[in-house]
Amino acid sequence: MSLLELADVHGGYGETEVLSGVTMDVEEGEVVTLVGRNGVGKTTTLRTALQLTPPRSGTVTYDGEDVSGRQTHEVAQAGMGWIPEDRRMFSQLTVEENIQVAVKDAERVDTHLDRAFEAFPDLREFRNRKAGNLSGGQQQMVAIARGLVGENDLLLVDEPSEGLAPQIVEDVANALRAVATDASLLLVEQNFPLAMDLADRFYLMDHGEVVHSDTTEGVSADDEEIRRYLT
Amino acid sequence: MIPLVSLVDAVLHFLDPAVLARVLFDGLAKASIYVMIAAGLTLIFGLMGVLNFAHGSLTAIGAYLGGLVMVTFAASASGNVGRIALFFVAIVVVFALLTAFGGAMEVSLIRPLYDRPPLYQILLTFGITLVLEELLRMVLLFYDIQPSTDWLEAQGTRPEIISKTHDVFGLGVEGLEVFQILLGVAITAGVWIFLTRTRYGLYIRAGSEDGEMAQALGVNVHQAFTVVFGVGVGITGVAGALLMWDSAWAASIDLGAEVLLPAFVVVIVGGLGTFRGTVVAGVLVGFVDAFTTELFTSNIVGFSALPELFIFLILVGTLVLRPQGLFGVEEVGGH
Repeated sequence: MSLLELADVHGGYGETEVLSGVTMDVEEGEVVTLVGRNGVGKTTTLRTALQLTPPRSGTVTYDGEDVSGRQTHEVAQAGMGWIPEDRRMFSQLTVEENIQVAVKDAERVDTHLDRAFEAFPDLREFRNRKAGNLSGGQQQMVAIARGLVGENDLLLVDEPSEGLAPQIVEDVANALRAVATDASLLLVEQNFPLAMDLADRFYLMDHGEVVHSDTTEGVSADDEEIRRYLT
Repeated sequence: MIPLVSLVDAVLHFLDPAVLARVLFDGLAKASIYVMIAAGLTLIFGLMGVLNFAHGSLTAIGAYLGGLVMVTFAASASGNVGRIALFFVAIVVVFALLTAFGGAMEVSLIRPLYDRPPLYQILLTFGITLVLEELLRMVLLFYDIQPSTDWLEAQGTRPEIISKTHDVFGLGVEGLEVFQILLGVAITAGVWIFLTRTRYGLYIRAGSEDGEMAQALGVNVHQAFTVVFGVGVGITGVAGALLMWDSAWAASIDLGAEVLLPAFVVVIVGGLGTFRGTVVAGVLVGFVDAFTTELFTSNIVGFSALPELFIFLILVGTLVLRPQGLFGVEEVGGH
């Protein structure tokens, strides 16, 4: 049984249909990446899985339960985490508070905070600083830490390398590898080699549909089929 | 040369310790009132982006409910301690009832309008004001209480220690002002602790910045909205109960309108939706009010309408120089 399963999902914003029948799944322990040009529906796929943009038709099944149309916080409580594009810090809250919000078990906030600071030692010294004042790379670490402390089984990761310097991207990639030992990842990433490096499998999307899927082994952006949809 | 003489007189006047002490206590007491009447408004706007125009009439309802508890049980609670204890009972009753009412109001009336433009919320809450005021008027008339004049019977339940002016080291200190300051500080501290030291407060602050992100982290933002609206209305009612004892405000239908304008001034000057800003702005407006009241209603310059004008000058100055308010960020509100 897959952890996350999207079956013929249609959806979008207002009148605009962005997803025109997406079918895909993520198995437990897997890292799966969505690739494709800008605007083909990758971010919307993640939002639809979380019910931030509920599907108009089709079903989203998480951990064996149909979650289509549920409240986002319920889906999140069930163990689906979001590391969104632009990191979405609570900029007026401190680093520590940003991480605290993500802890779902109120009894064990301190334990989880320690865990986050062990995983990201650099954050410890910034713990009382407002998240809005951190650099992009530091914010990305906070965003990943939020995913980590939520005890999620699946993390939806959207453009984690966007806008970051190359050596920071390497740190982020390592952080994602580390969290991937505990959780499955559904990753959207423009940096194709990085995406292929992190993921076990990929789905290639175009015009709101999955047009190709395969394991990432030996795949490069030069492959004819892939180049056609990426350039 | 009269203005110059007046200026010298004024400076000399304010150097008198008795006057200084009076301005200090007046200022603190007014600051407490301004913070309290604005706290509910700013909490609700800060998280939900809803401008609650029913705020004033909810204050008036709080004043009458508090007065009702006091008048009903005053006979069995005599003496200073008994009356003050009864007042705290009244506050708890008002807070509980209005919090429940506010929560119900959010779920039934405000929630369906979140996806509409803000104008709908303004029209709705303004409509609620009209309905509440008329209902209140009907109830008051039924019980033979004159709705548009101050409810003196409720005011009369003040214990002696709060009604009189105390002599402290030769300075006159009004009991009511001390009471207002203590209560204002306690409630401000309570809200502060709720927002910064509790888990729910953390959810509220997170949700007010980015509701979608908070939901994606598992926070039930809808529930937080209901709680905040309820607590905001509850605090508003408590502020009303406090004003019921103060002859400058007092319980009447008109209290709603009297409160709404300065509450908006404080909220806007402080920065829409920031509680810290509201506290600072409340203190600022309170002291300007106290100072100008002393200046313009003492015998130096007789012009009793000026203090109120100054409050609005602060508003105008803020809007021109720093439109987002003292502590405001440029975009606030959950929607």
